[in-house]
Amino acid sequence: MSVSVMVVDDHPLWRDGVARDLAERGFQVVATAGDAASAVRIARAVRPDVVLMDLNLGGPSGVEATTMITGSLTATRVLVLSASGEHDDVLEAVKAGASGYLVKSASAEELVEAVNRTAAGDAVFTAGLAGLVLGEYRRMAATPDEDKPQLTDRETEVLRLVAKGLTARQIATRLVISHRTVENHVQSTLRKLQLHNRVELARYAIEHGLDVEPEGT
Amino acid sequence: MHTKPARTGPSVTEDPVAHLWRGTVALRIVTFLFALGNAVVHHGEYERPWIAWAAIGAMAAWSVFTVQAYSRRGGRRPWVVVADLVVACGLMSLSQLIMTDTQFLYNVPLITTIWACVPAVAAGALGGQVAGALAGLAVGLSTYLNRRELSVDLVRDVVLLAGAGLVVGMASTTARRSAVRLAQALRAEAATAERERLARSIHDGVLQVLARVRKRGSELGGEAAELAELAGEQEVALRSLVAAAPAESTMDGEADLRPALQLLATSRVQVSTPATQVMLPTATAAELTAVVREALSNVDKHAAGARAWVLLEDLGEEVVLSVRDDGPGIPEGRLASAEAEGRMGVAQSIRGRVEALRGTLELQTGPGEGTEWEVRVYR
Repeated sequence: MSVSVMVVDDHPLWRDGVARDLAERGFQVVATAGDAASAVRIARAVRPDVVLMDLNLGGPSGVEATTMITGSLTATRVLVLSASGEHDDVLEAVKAGASGYLVKSASAEELVEAVNRTAAGDAVFTAGLAGLVLGEYRRMAATPDEDKPQLTDRETEVLRLVAKGLTARQIATRLVISHRTVENHVQSTLRKLQLHNRVELARYAIEHGLDVEPEGT
Repeated sequence: MHTKPARTGPSVTEDPVAHLWRGTVALRIVTFLFALGNAVVHHGEYERPWIAWAAIGAMAAWSVFTVQAYSRRGGRRPWVVVADLVVACGLMSLSQLIMTDTQFLYNVPLITTIWACVPAVAAGALGGQVAGALAGLAVGLSTYLNRRELSVDLVRDVVLLAGAGLVVGMASTTARRSAVRLAQALRAEAATAERERLARSIHDGVLQVLARVRKRGSELGGEAAELAELAGEQEVALRSLVAAAPAESTMDGEADLRPALQLLATSRVQVSTPATQVMLPTATAAELTAVVREALSNVDKHAAGARAWVLLEDLGEEVVLSVRDDGPGIPEGRLASAEAEGRMGVAQSIRGRVEALRGTLELQTGPGEGTEWEVRVYR
């Protein structure tokens, strides 16, 4: 069965272009959306395998849409496809549950590979994202928070190599570990970040007396 | 669609010390009424009452003129304040003709009384503490010349006059300075808002079209692919330009290293940074940017077509910058031989810059392995 994809971008020209690119390459583009609210609504209705999410949507951002989608649809994965330079937003989206990040200037081949890997459950780690995640762990290391997640030495090593542009295979060769182990290390850095983010949100909700509304899946 | 009009700041024509001038005007009116009352009380004992009333009349006329002048920004001029000082001292000296010796002996106020202190306050408002204090001293000197003897009362008046000019002058200087700072802050804010507006509209329009042209063109191939490549280069350049905040340095001479590095990104150069600011002394940031630029131009020269990655890491105590390319690498001994021959190679230049920053430099390279520079600078 082909991978079902939903494209979220507020620019019609770009959105339709990407949808066509993906359809031509055998993906099933099940929906498109131009803003965060309809993205969440439609995603809950069609439950795509992968949501390609632009972050700059005008109004509620792609970060919020990512939070809602990954929070309610466990089988749907969000791949951020955004302009470079939106550092804070990319980091927030990844913490909110996005499983990867690709810049809009990536080639069609890179996009196809990234969607396939996202659908397979792998993290799509570009050099830019690795730099952001490394920075985030180091920022947290400097805070007094006792529950903060930490990177193992190996994870740090792997992330640095990703940030320096090495592919998973090149990293595996250099560190003399298996390709799969490299993937696991990379995913583990994301998972810890996302788990910490959820704990923080829950703690915030409890401290501020907010009801955490159970959302239907 | 995300545009919003830039906020307009307070009118720039507003005088930052207008409130001091309003005070000066009020002081002029109150002191004139005091001088009038003083003349009414003492006019029966004056030697020449008609000169006293002529002087009061002149003071009234001059008060009207200066109240009008000081109420408008255009009237707050040095010559008006100097004239004010001259008129006040001149009218004060009429006391010689008006008052009797007995009156001088019993310390009856001079005809101008405290009305004469206004020029000191006005000078302070206009020219700052030095002008204010000097004008106060001038009025004090004039008072001494009229009284012709040094007394505790006289010294007290001089101190009060000079002090009033000084304090008003200091307030005026402070107000002007903060007005300048406020204007700067408003300008910076307006520039940022405008920049964000531009970034949004570029993102929504031009970038999307360029990206589309690049994608479609490369699929069509041939000449379209060449055009696509050009569009792609402009897209990346525009994206980094929009993403990079203007290189602002803070009050303590520090700057964020990230924007400068992000401007070096091209379709073949990926720049990765933390999401948070990496603050370094402005000079250090500039040197590190130059190091990266040199390393990248070296890639262009010796490994044309290779891709390069720049990674910036902030470890708290130190900042680490890595530049890696996937080119053919530098053959063993090439760098050393170039240095031995005394050629100012890129390695020497980069090493020199890093040493000047008291940092460390590591070079990893080998045939077929690409080249990786790692620079560490300590905070």
